[in-house]
Amino acid sequence: MNLPVLIIMLFIYTGIMTYLAYLGNRRTRTEEDYLVAGRNAHPLIMALSYGSTFISTSSLVGFGGVSALYGFGLLWLALLNIVVGVFIAFAFLGVRVRKLSVELGASTFPTLLGKRYQSRFVTVFSGLMIFVLMPAYTSVVLIGGARFLEESLSMDFHLALWVLAILIAAYVISGGLKAVMYTDTFCAVVMLLGMVILLFAAYQSVGGVIAGHEGLTAMKNMVPPSLAEQGHQGWTAMPSLGSPLWWTLVSTMIMGVGIGVLAQPQLIMRCMTVKNKRSLNRSVMTGGVFMFFMTGAAFMIGPLTNLYFKNTQGKISMAVANNNIDSIMPIFIKEIMPEWFLYLILFTLLSAAISTIVSLFHVQGSAFSEDIIKTLGINLRVKNPLFLSRIGVFLGMFAAVVLAYLLPGNIIAQSTAFWYGLCASCFLPALIGALYWKRATRQGAIASMVAGFVVSAFGFLFLHAKEAKAFGLAKTLFGMDTLLAYPWTHVDPLFYALPIATVVFVVGSLLTNKSIKKDSKMAEELS
Amino acid sequence: MLGMADGWITVAWLGTILSAVFCVIYSLVMWNKGDD
Repeated sequence: MNLPVLIIMLFIYTGIMTYLAYLGNRRTRTEEDYLVAGRNAHPLIMALSYGSTFISTSSLVGFGGVSALYGFGLLWLALLNIVVGVFIAFAFLGVRVRKLSVELGASTFPTLLGKRYQSRFVTVFSGLMIFVLMPAYTSVVLIGGARFLEESLSMDFHLALWVLAILIAAYVISGGLKAVMYTDTFCAVVMLLGMVILLFAAYQSVGGVIAGHEGLTAMKNMVPPSLAEQGHQGWTAMPSLGSPLWWTLVSTMIMGVGIGVLAQPQLIMRCMTVKNKRSLNRSVMTGGVFMFFMTGAAFMIGPLTNLYFKNTQGKISMAVANNNIDSIMPIFIKEIMPEWFLYLILFTLLSAAISTIVSLFHVQGSAFSEDIIKTLGINLRVKNPLFLSRIGVFLGMFAAVVLAYLLPGNIIAQSTAFWYGLCASCFLPALIGALYWKRATRQGAIASMVAGFVVSAFGFLFLHAKEAKAFGLAKTLFGMDTLLAYPWTHVDPLFYALPIATVVFVVGSLLTNKSIKKDSKMAEELS
Repeated sequence: MLGMADGWITVAWLGTILSAVFCVIYSLVMWNKGDD
């Protein structure tokens, strides 16, 4: 790659992003503009902003590499991303979230839950979870973006980290959610362009769709013995039922991320930004197509890399990448694509990182100001109501950068699974109850959120091998990596924390019925 | 089918494409539905 050309392109890219953030700033007049983009976002902008926020660099490079290892089975996650993450999220949950948020005057996800359950605890607990724990997720997305700048620009990693974080925080602080959604949309267009071209080129490199699949099926005998022992049955078959590989693929990758998406605060609140139900219905089209060309394409390309490398080097992808899963996609792209495309894919992956971080910073800022400070009634004597949110963005950015220094580089997948699993167990029963069940009570919601949090955290710290080993708490306290043996070491905590939280929610609500004097009008109507 | 060794994978591969197509059809059908 030609470094001067790349630097000029980076300046142009940054210029466009800065102009879009400026545009967001010019159109931000009120607190509602800053927090929910004035509730009149265009369906196309909403869908692309939602999609690009959901998809980070690790979704494409990291999970693409994982699919090169596991095979096409990961496509079940792509299917869930479209059906659950877009269709159900927009056409069902989104419609009610939008309506309830208008009715209750809620501009953030924690405030929506808190006002529905008439509980300050629910708002503050949710806000604290976002403000304190989300930086762990933000920092791994930031690490992904900074690593990329380090490799492509030969830039110092720590410098890349700070440049990226400060630039993104400036976008959020200046223009609020409008700036976030405008820059997100530009990022999404760049991402679409890169991934559409790459998907067609990948199938072309292995001789077409059917020939590619048949060639990959014929490679079953090249599965490394260590993976075959874990249940790997080839790249065009699911791992054997109940094997360690099956549990990891199904419980963590497919269910954890596929269902967990419904409880992501930075994604749910996108549904509050459109004008009406009609806008959400129109967003489904853009969201579905965008998601197909992101995770659908990445999980189709990943397994095919094995066939390409077998044809060209006689080795599978993991062998070519020296067992570094994150290197598989970049090596494959460099091999099959012309040089001009390398510039495009670089901006595709940079856009994926920026569009996710920008939204996470925004949610952290509003959690600090709206959900914690305002709900607790703390008067900090500031004239501009947005000042506190901007302080929150700055604190969230600082926490993410500090964590990026502390976290080991190989924790991206675990940290993502941890955040998604925790959110789903903690928020999902209370959210579904708020939207669909008029008998849901404050006590039921509080009990379920606490139970979901405690059980999920216990599972990640003491039972699920990948995270428990990384945290090392079980080892320190009990002298062993995990407290229980297989299969608990491979069953994602979401698998038991979410059902437990749901049971606690239902039983708690039934036992304390009538505790909420006046349910919201919409919940009455719709239940 | 489609060159895959496992029917579950064929379903996932086809399902991913068809679900994106479904999203397009759903939006077009619902384009003007729903009170403003």
